[in-house]
Amino acid sequence: MAKKQIFFLPFMLKQAREHRNSGAANTKTDFRFMLYKNNAKTLLATSAIVSWLLLLVYVLLTAESTVTGASVPSFAFPFLNNLLIVVFIVSVFLFQRLHTEMLKGMDFIGYLWNLFSRAGVAAYLSVALYLVYRVYTNYAEEESSLLLHLVYQVNFGLMVLFLGKAFYIWRQLLLYHKNKFLQIAWDWFELLLAATLLLTIFNFNYTSYVFLPLLALIGFYILFLCTNMKWVAYLTFNNKSRSLVLLGAILLSCYIFVRFFRAMANSPELVVDYTDVGFLLLAMLFVGTYTLAAFLVSLFSLPTSSVFEQKSEDLLNFQRLSLSIQQGQSEAQVYDMLVESTIKASDASAAWFEVVRNSEPQVTHLLNIKEPQIKSIRHLLQAYNIHNMDYINNNLGRNPGFRGLGLAWKSMAILPIKSTKHLSGVLYLLKDVEGGFDQETVNVLRTFTSQTTLTIENLRLVNESLQNERYKEELKIATQVQESLIPKTFPTDSWFEISTHSVAAKEVGGDFYDFLQLSESRIAIIIGDVSGKGISAAFHMAQMKGIFHGLMQQDMAPSEFMKQANSALSRCLERTSFITSALYIIDYRMKGFMFARAGHCHTLYYNSMMDNVFYFQTDGLGLGIIRDDKNYAGHIREMYYDYNPGDVMVIYTDGIVEARSPKNEEYGEDRLLYMLEQTYHLEADDIKYAIINDLNDFTGPGNLYDDQTLLVIKFRPTQPNI
Amino acid sequence: MPMKITQEIKDNTIIMTLDGELDASSSVILDEELSDPEIMKYSKILVDCQKLNYISSAGLGVFISHLQRFEDAQIKLIFFNMQDKVRNVFEILGLDLLMTIVSDYEEARTIANE
Repeated sequence: MAKKQIFFLPFMLKQAREHRNSGAANTKTDFRFMLYKNNAKTLLATSAIVSWLLLLVYVLLTAESTVTGASVPSFAFPFLNNLLIVVFIVSVFLFQRLHTEMLKGMDFIGYLWNLFSRAGVAAYLSVALYLVYRVYTNYAEEESSLLLHLVYQVNFGLMVLFLGKAFYIWRQLLLYHKNKFLQIAWDWFELLLAATLLLTIFNFNYTSYVFLPLLALIGFYILFLCTNMKWVAYLTFNNKSRSLVLLGAILLSCYIFVRFFRAMANSPELVVDYTDVGFLLLAMLFVGTYTLAAFLVSLFSLPTSSVFEQKSEDLLNFQRLSLSIQQGQSEAQVYDMLVESTIKASDASAAWFEVVRNSEPQVTHLLNIKEPQIKSIRHLLQAYNIHNMDYINNNLGRNPGFRGLGLAWKSMAILPIKSTKHLSGVLYLLKDVEGGFDQETVNVLRTFTSQTTLTIENLRLVNESLQNERYKEELKIATQVQESLIPKTFPTDSWFEISTHSVAAKEVGGDFYDFLQLSESRIAIIIGDVSGKGISAAFHMAQMKGIFHGLMQQDMAPSEFMKQANSALSRCLERTSFITSALYIIDYRMKGFMFARAGHCHTLYYNSMMDNVFYFQTDGLGLGIIRDDKNYAGHIREMYYDYNPGDVMVIYTDGIVEARSPKNEEYGEDRLLYMLEQTYHLEADDIKYAIINDLNDFTGPGNLYDDQTLLVIKFRPTQPNI
Repeated sequence: MPMKITQEIKDNTIIMTLDGELDASSSVILDEELSDPEIMKYSKILVDCQKLNYISSAGLGVFISHLQRFEDAQIKLIFFNMQDKVRNVFEILGLDLLMTIVSDYEEARTIANE
């Protein structure tokens, strides 16, 4: 007894254990459900083992009693016997049902291998067991009824295991790509089959005429179910050959069990006969039929599998091509994919691909062909005036020109990668058979080329928009840099007011201004205008700001500053660029300011003492015009001026005075001077607003051609006591 | 309106007429004209500015960039017939002290032949 347990137990327990392991790996799914499932499985495994053992004990006891002749007790409970059988079968089947539900995915060979290695081998074990039994009886020269019963019982257990496993693995495959109808059909099949167990419980003989039509009906039902094997189509040629071997082995397992139990059927030595269990017969019928059908379908679809493989590969390649846009692949990679896919799809014996750049072909891919051969073919095509055209020739031998080249190829396909206006490349495919490019192949090839055209076109568009985006981004950065270069706040003090206005015509302008507190009573203010616009202007602005802060740390006179700035800028400004600038150093302790003008607009000034508005007419050459230090020194003038409380200074760039009206008139210095004459008594802010409002009235809306900068400084009448 | 530049050659003198607005785009054309090596064969360049309505900093930049080259080659560059507002732009920048700007053609010829 103990021996049998050892044989049987590890088999069950191993499955149960593996189950738990695979369950643990899958904790992503509902953990509680897993727990329930594991518990259910443990319960089912236990009930299977217990029922099997009880059945064994029962069978052995019955056999013992028939041998000794002391009859009766066993046949007193035929229902118990049948009940145990049903419990065992149900437990094993339910266990396998739960077990196979874990299997997922498209690894069909994995399913088959699982079935064979876990269950199919049971048949071979049962054969071995039976052989051992026969050898033993031959050796011992006596028939042992008990031993026979034991072997029979073990084989029964193994068969049920095999059937359960096979049944549910076939279910998994049968329901692959299922629809609702198939699912319902299968559920009914399972129910019907389960119902036949009732026959066993109530000990009906299923072979009776009452049930035969019903059984026949189920048989047809099984045949119908066995037509569902879509999974076979997904096997590649190699997988099909492997599955044939596995299916053959499983078929053999079926045969062994059938053979064994048929041989033992109605044996007078045995007290039980499991062929009486209609359920097992039907399950075996299903498993056997499905295995046989799968075997035959695999066998006969073997020659056509390469076609399906090609089709599914074509499909995958299409997918890769269209995905390549999202994956940011380059044109070269797309062409790689095209050449590889089309050669495979057409089974071409030679091919080349040329990229067309500036209408010059440039061979990038070669297969089984040499440059001179390409050259001669290209010459011929040019002579016929069919180069770079969609062209298929399936009988090159008939063409005298091509025959003259003495090349081995018999058919040829030319496929240009061409959008409506742009030819990006041409694909040439050659085959050494006549009629190599049939309509079906050409259709696939054209689909590839049009997909490639689309991909290339899209890649270009994506690149262009990226470039545009990058340019905009750069401009945005330049604008930010420029904005950061212009001070947001001026120092406020009781002795002067300052108000500023600044707008850029384009994203990046060339105007700038800045200030630096030189000492407690002195402040330097600079204004400037860089010739040109855009990013280079922003760069020069940054340079100018650097020069201003660098040089003014040494606290120098404005004219000296201009000389040194000219010298510094001469070394870095391009030949056509220059900068105009004006620098003011205001000293409120001395109540005066010193300034120098380097080509910048004249300073507008209101003198409160004389009640007079005027421009300071001083000479001064722009920076970067004369790039020779000594020469420049003669072109810069410095001026000192004492201011009075109430005086107003207006500093601006040419964008103000050169602003134009819709009639193309310039705003001009005169109008600016007139504006100050009208407004000098106002606060600095109000003077500024008055001028800007007048300017905007003059130009009209949306008429900004140049950057505009305006600084209004008003010296306050009330001076602080220092 | 687009810039129109015409050249007239008299002996060793080029008379260049500027017609229109000299802005960023038209200054490229002017730069090409002045960069022509042929121009170095002449000793005088007279620029007629009568129809020059506007000059931008880019236009000024073109003249400035060629100024030194002409001076080195001893080519005289003389502007004449300049409108007041254009002349004002030259003056503010201080270019009137570097370049020869005269009122009319006769004066330009006289100075050129000195």
